[in-house]
Amino acid sequence: MHVVPALLELQSRFLDALYDDAEAGPTEALVGAGLDPAARLRIYRHAAAQIHADALRATYPALLALVGEAFFEQVGVHYRRAHPSRSGNLQAFGAHFADFLESLQATGTLPYLGDVARLEWQRQQAALAGTAEALSAGVVGEAFAGVDGAVRIALHPSVRRFASPHPVLSIWQYAMQPSPGRLTLPEHGDRLLLWRSEAEVAMAPIDAASFACIGALLCGVTLDAAHAAARAKDSAFDLPACITSLVAQELVVAITPVHRKEHPACA
Amino acid sequence: MPASAGIGLRAPHVSRILREHPRVPWFEMHSENLFATGGSLHDAMVRIRADYPLSLHGVGLSLGSVDALDTAHLWRLAALVARYQPGLVSEHLCWGAVGGRHSNDLLPLPFTEEAVSLLVSRIGQVQDALRRELLVENISTYLRFQEGDYTEWDFVAEVVRRSGCGLLCDVNNIYVNSVNHDFDPSMYLRALPREAVREIHLAGYTRKEGLPVPLLIDTHSRPVDEAVWALYGAAVARFGPVPTLIEWDQDIPELEVLLAEAARAQEVLDARRACAA
Repeated sequence: MHVVPALLELQSRFLDALYDDAEAGPTEALVGAGLDPAARLRIYRHAAAQIHADALRATYPALLALVGEAFFEQVGVHYRRAHPSRSGNLQAFGAHFADFLESLQATGTLPYLGDVARLEWQRQQAALAGTAEALSAGVVGEAFAGVDGAVRIALHPSVRRFASPHPVLSIWQYAMQPSPGRLTLPEHGDRLLLWRSEAEVAMAPIDAASFACIGALLCGVTLDAAHAAARAKDSAFDLPACITSLVAQELVVAITPVHRKEHPACA
Repeated sequence: MPASAGIGLRAPHVSRILREHPRVPWFEMHSENLFATGGSLHDAMVRIRADYPLSLHGVGLSLGSVDALDTAHLWRLAALVARYQPGLVSEHLCWGAVGGRHSNDLLPLPFTEEAVSLLVSRIGQVQDALRRELLVENISTYLRFQEGDYTEWDFVAEVVRRSGCGLLCDVNNIYVNSVNHDFDPSMYLRALPREAVREIHLAGYTRKEGLPVPLLIDTHSRPVDEAVWALYGAAVARFGPVPTLIEWDQDIPELEVLLAEAARAQEVLDARRACAA
């Protein structure tokens, strides 16, 4: 009779077998009872692989549509070996998928795939980000009227920026809702603003100066510093229009006066 | 938590529940689905919790792993418990990770003294962190290890007795294991500490075809099987009317199907109450 190994050895060998088909697992410690112990272990191997594949499918629907089921599944198998799940919370699985995709020779002819994956990861982060009450236009107006000096503007926790040399928004939209005929892609890349609106994640292209301004605000610098960052991209940048647009999208959640001379630097 | 039949709260039903406020005694939610700091699910949960009792059911704490407990996971759970004040909080008697790698599945433990000691210690840590009783659930398994120190039912009972936790008795899991490992499920029920049972789970299984032996898979994808209903009757006769949950996680049907299953469980609970009166 075989003795059941200690838990550390048992669990290590069991998990090795779930991640790698070549690992037999602790089959000598299993009761077959009419079935090959290896076949019993394969039920768990298949289930774990399916759980991780489903998690990737849920996070990367556009990517799945672009590359097709078979390729997506194959990449998923290699991905979970290279980047095993590190959390009991599946929402964290898939964080390295974009970099992994770009490391594959097979995706070399589709250089935008990595950024489509990054965009989808950012969409998931926006969907799961915290909640904050937006300031109305009236409250924002009163806040500015009552402040004499520097202010900081806090944006909704779901706000994200994403830039790519590829037209990822058009690609993502085509993947999610394919239209008949051939897709003509813009020749430029995208700068996008992402945020959660009700239960959906919204995405909108923004210009380089607004991108810089919002990036600076997200870093927590003063509005003056954010304005300077935007003007470095476009000397004609219209700050009131940019802030008005953010307020209209219900993305401004706090305006606070800055009392200290020291302002945080934006990395 | 009412000793009535509730249902698992699943994403496809959330908007309808918010809109129609169906008569459901309570809902159960997977804890990890609420681990994000925000999002539309939290927005919905705040409204649902205002109208219904709630139970939180974890799948990722890996109580039986030799790895140390993931404290970040534990504190997120503690924050959720503080936020939603659930009537019950539960996890599984299983392991899922080792060496920092997670299977994200509910994996079987050997029924050894080493595993009992580990579980008792980990359950104590969780109960201390949450400052409340944790329920532990018996899992479905498709393999078992060579002879250990306990039978499965004595293993479960010993963990509950020594840790002082509550028991979430999954009747479908007992039935599935009784077929997969060829034992009498009523013997399992008789061995469980009646005073520790705080909740019962019911779900549907599928049968794996083409094998030389019968093998049931706990898929939560079908109605509760008649044999499981019969075992549920025996469980309620032994444990009394305790909160009972209909679980359905794959191929999720219309809400009415879950409500009909819950209504059938409610009839069993009501009959037991009438019998005791």
